[in-house]
Amino acid sequence: MDIDAQRLTRRYGALAALDGLTLEVERVKVLALIGPSGGGKSTLLRVLGGLEGADEGEVSINGTVLTAEERQLLAWRRRNGFLFQQFNLFPHLTARRNITLPLEKVHGRTAAEAERVADESLERFGLTAHGHKLPAQLSGGQQQRVGLARAIASGPEILILDEPTSALDPEMTAEVLELIGELAAGGQDIILSTHEMGFARAVAGHVAFIAAGKVAEHGPSGELFAAPKEEMTRRFLSKVMRFA
Amino acid sequence: MGWDLLLGLVLAAMVYALFWWVFSNLDTAWGWSRAWDFRQSLWRGWVVTLELSAGALAGSCVVAGLLVAGQRTRYRSLGWFSRAFVELVRGMPLLTLVLIGYYVVFAQSQVAGLLDRFGVGSKLWTGAALLSVFTGAYLSEILRGGLESIPQGQIDSARAVGFDRFQVFRWVVMPQALRRVLPALAGQFVSLVKDSSLLSVIGVQEFTAQARAFNSATYGGIEAFLPLAAGYLLLTLPLAGVAHAMERHFRYQM
Repeated sequence: MDIDAQRLTRRYGALAALDGLTLEVERVKVLALIGPSGGGKSTLLRVLGGLEGADEGEVSINGTVLTAEERQLLAWRRRNGFLFQQFNLFPHLTARRNITLPLEKVHGRTAAEAERVADESLERFGLTAHGHKLPAQLSGGQQQRVGLARAIASGPEILILDEPTSALDPEMTAEVLELIGELAAGGQDIILSTHEMGFARAVAGHVAFIAAGKVAEHGPSGELFAAPKEEMTRRFLSKVMRFA
Repeated sequence: MGWDLLLGLVLAAMVYALFWWVFSNLDTAWGWSRAWDFRQSLWRGWVVTLELSAGALAGSCVVAGLLVAGQRTRYRSLGWFSRAFVELVRGMPLLTLVLIGYYVVFAQSQVAGLLDRFGVGSKLWTGAALLSVFTGAYLSEILRGGLESIPQGQIDSARAVGFDRFQVFRWVVMPQALRRVLPALAGQFVSLVKDSSLLSVIGVQEFTAQARAFNSATYGGIEAFLPLAAGYLLLTLPLAGVAHAMERHFRYQM
């Protein structure tokens, strides 16, 4: 995928979550956003995913220019898949219904088609035995796997993951990261923010370090992790990888 | 378990003693034959109360829906209007609302004539409309509270899977909000049934009005009021039962 973001600014009241952020990458399969909390990773993902428009600046992904117009953003959201840190699943619906409902109502599939797709993706993620359960009956890891199954069920152009494992314990983190790794290996375009540096280094082809609403530096993950150019990146990496 | 049973027996004995004491002090001869003579007007009154309640139940949902929608649109004037409407109606006793509504608005010859032309000029319709407005204002606040209690994360999630504004509301926000406010809604509907008794002041011949008429015609007293209590419970208990069944059916949090 190609991303061209120019001078993006997004303000919440007095706070500029994105502060003139610029990022140009081409022909990247998996892009990881790393950096301190509150640096603007989530906001950038929300803008790239079409959940909200930027106040200033321009962004285009794979040639599609994202405006601030709701109708256009809705069409863009429908082409992509999204997974958040938590609160993903609809708690009043079973795991299976969580997957079939958007397929029917958004993507115009028949009920039978939607159920076939849902059963396939539940099986693929080892969740067949849990399809009939409500989210409250599933572990955090299982919930995120269902969320992932829902996000890819419609065959998204880009899968956007906002700290998908931050609310999980290490064991559940591993089972979710493994699935994301499989999706990446299968050729799925992914943009994710994460604090799992080992995972970012192993799976992402390209990494962007984001702090204070700007991209401090970005590059192929091998280079950025091995030899960060910016002092800020070096300090961040030495801190978070001290015990790795 | 043993203590539970003992406590239950003690409570049952206390209730029995209370009733026994109250009724043994009444010192009147039971006159159920008089109640039997009035059974038809009591029955008619009960049916009117049932009709009023059913009509106002449907009507109050419509009123509440409009008031909630009014407060959630982007048009601020409509928001203020709905807000003021809710506060005025909730700030007034039902009796005041009914008297003003009937004698100042509905009973005016032009209004009454217009309503008659549409076949809705009867006191039954007027009463149901006033009760709908009153209950609708309360319902709208319950619903608004429920809708606003749904976390933003759910709305984000719903938008992320590609739902448009209406779909977010229809498939994600509303079902969860309704489940949360079900107990409060049920309470409001039970109140509605009981509040319908106040409509006798504008001459709707509902259940309480018939019991009063019976009482003043025969000095029946207790023989009029016991059937009255039973008749209301016959409406309110099933309503509460249905609500509890729905709560269980739509439960999604363990």
